[in-house]
Amino acid sequence: MTIVEAAAALRAKQVSTRELTDESLERIARLNPRLNAFITVVAESARIRASELDSELARGVDRGPLHGIPIAHKDLVLTKGVLTTAGSKLFADFVPDHDAEVAAKLSDAGAVLIGKTGLHELAYGITSNNPHYGAVHNPWDTERIPGGSSGGSGAAVAAGLVAMATGTDTGGSIRIPASFCGVVGLKPTFDRVSRRGVLPLGCTLDHVGPMTRTVRDAAISFNAMAKHSSSYVPPADADIRGLRIGLPSNFYFDRLDLETGGAVRAAVQIAAAIGGRIVDVRVPDMDALNTIGRLLLLVEASVALRPYLHRRADFGADVLALLDQGHLISTADYIDAQRLRRIYAREFSRLWTQVDCVLTPMTPMAAPRIGQTTVPLGGTSEDTRLACTRFARAINALGIPALSMPCGFTKAGLPIGLQILAAPNQEDTLFRAGAALEDALNLTVLPKPD
Amino acid sequence: MATMPTDWKKLAAALEPPIPTSDVERIAPVLDALEAAFRPLARSLPPDAIPWTGPEDLE
Repeated sequence: MTIVEAAAALRAKQVSTRELTDESLERIARLNPRLNAFITVVAESARIRASELDSELARGVDRGPLHGIPIAHKDLVLTKGVLTTAGSKLFADFVPDHDAEVAAKLSDAGAVLIGKTGLHELAYGITSNNPHYGAVHNPWDTERIPGGSSGGSGAAVAAGLVAMATGTDTGGSIRIPASFCGVVGLKPTFDRVSRRGVLPLGCTLDHVGPMTRTVRDAAISFNAMAKHSSSYVPPADADIRGLRIGLPSNFYFDRLDLETGGAVRAAVQIAAAIGGRIVDVRVPDMDALNTIGRLLLLVEASVALRPYLHRRADFGADVLALLDQGHLISTADYIDAQRLRRIYAREFSRLWTQVDCVLTPMTPMAAPRIGQTTVPLGGTSEDTRLACTRFARAINALGIPALSMPCGFTKAGLPIGLQILAAPNQEDTLFRAGAALEDALNLTVLPKPD
Repeated sequence: MATMPTDWKKLAAALEPPIPTSDVERIAPVLDALEAAFRPLARSLPPDAIPWTGPEDLE
């Protein structure tokens, strides 16, 4: 069930929070051995909390649309009394004594914490093939990666283990797994959702956001998570008539898998058919922005983990290599990268005088196989990590909001994702455009495996 | 990264904790490529450019 469906069923007394929680726990027991989406499941406390929330509803205390909804947190969101590993050996026994701000907000909104989801080690990678906690598997094809770093959250939502899971996105870590798992992922505007109590990776690039089955569920979740929001949730008849939708004529459709390009272009046509005004736009030098974003993250991650760099054996090989790279880059270059970032951000922001949002592919291809180090694209072979982050990383450097949502499937049955971008603090535009497209695409399918 | 190609091994040996030479050899080509992409961008910076400051730049 989606959040919207579960919330309606709860208020119609067709189901209880305790039943929703038991169903979630039953699915986890049945499917998690194949998916490895969860590192920790808190069945007992979830059942107790569910019963408390049922009592509240019976007394007329209604905390809103998340009241009684089972959710999960990515395992780098601090949760009081619950193991928080960050997918790392360094934090294998770390039990926080307080909640992250976003965890507290979701709890106050009535969400039921079911457990903590697996991730790429320290959120520093896109495969979620974790050397310490095992690989997370894609529910659509368990031989494939779910994407990352929030791979456990993507897999858990796609497989219907929970209705919503939190993710973090430093270079695409919400949007890439959303794309590969066929779910919706929102990277909000920088700092619009509190990062307090979330283990940091890139201090000026980290974003916290929701992963859900539908765009409306993402809006509901974001409204509960954000420091401030308009409380907008797209109505049943979401309308994009007159909305100016930018379609990039450069960068985003280069070196793209044919099926992915076809599905995204078909979604653009649908957007036009339902009243969106498609406007051709040219984006600034996104390769340059990706270079800037990479350099910033290398340094920031290395600084964040500096106290642990002497424990080389406790890191996986890919993460250690990235940390070493960051350690070798000079402070002067880091500051120059921040100076360049501001120039490119200003240049990009001029787009918002022409259009209300921009539509792009989310990833150049569908989910690669576990262990696949290169992907064939545009007649060449490309490093899997760089290919997966190509359309995502620069957006973290810009700090603007971005929504990843499914727009089709490959012939092999793998989800294809598209990305919608908007001006800072214009998440409502993303929800409006995303919900209208979601309704028109009508891709609703049963989660897999089942 | 300096204007001249950087000697990553020399730099790594001076760090605390140091990075083993074999590990530096593995990452040096990646850093060389990043440096080659970044250096022309850095050279294009106007003298009055100031760093991105987060939310203030998002208004």
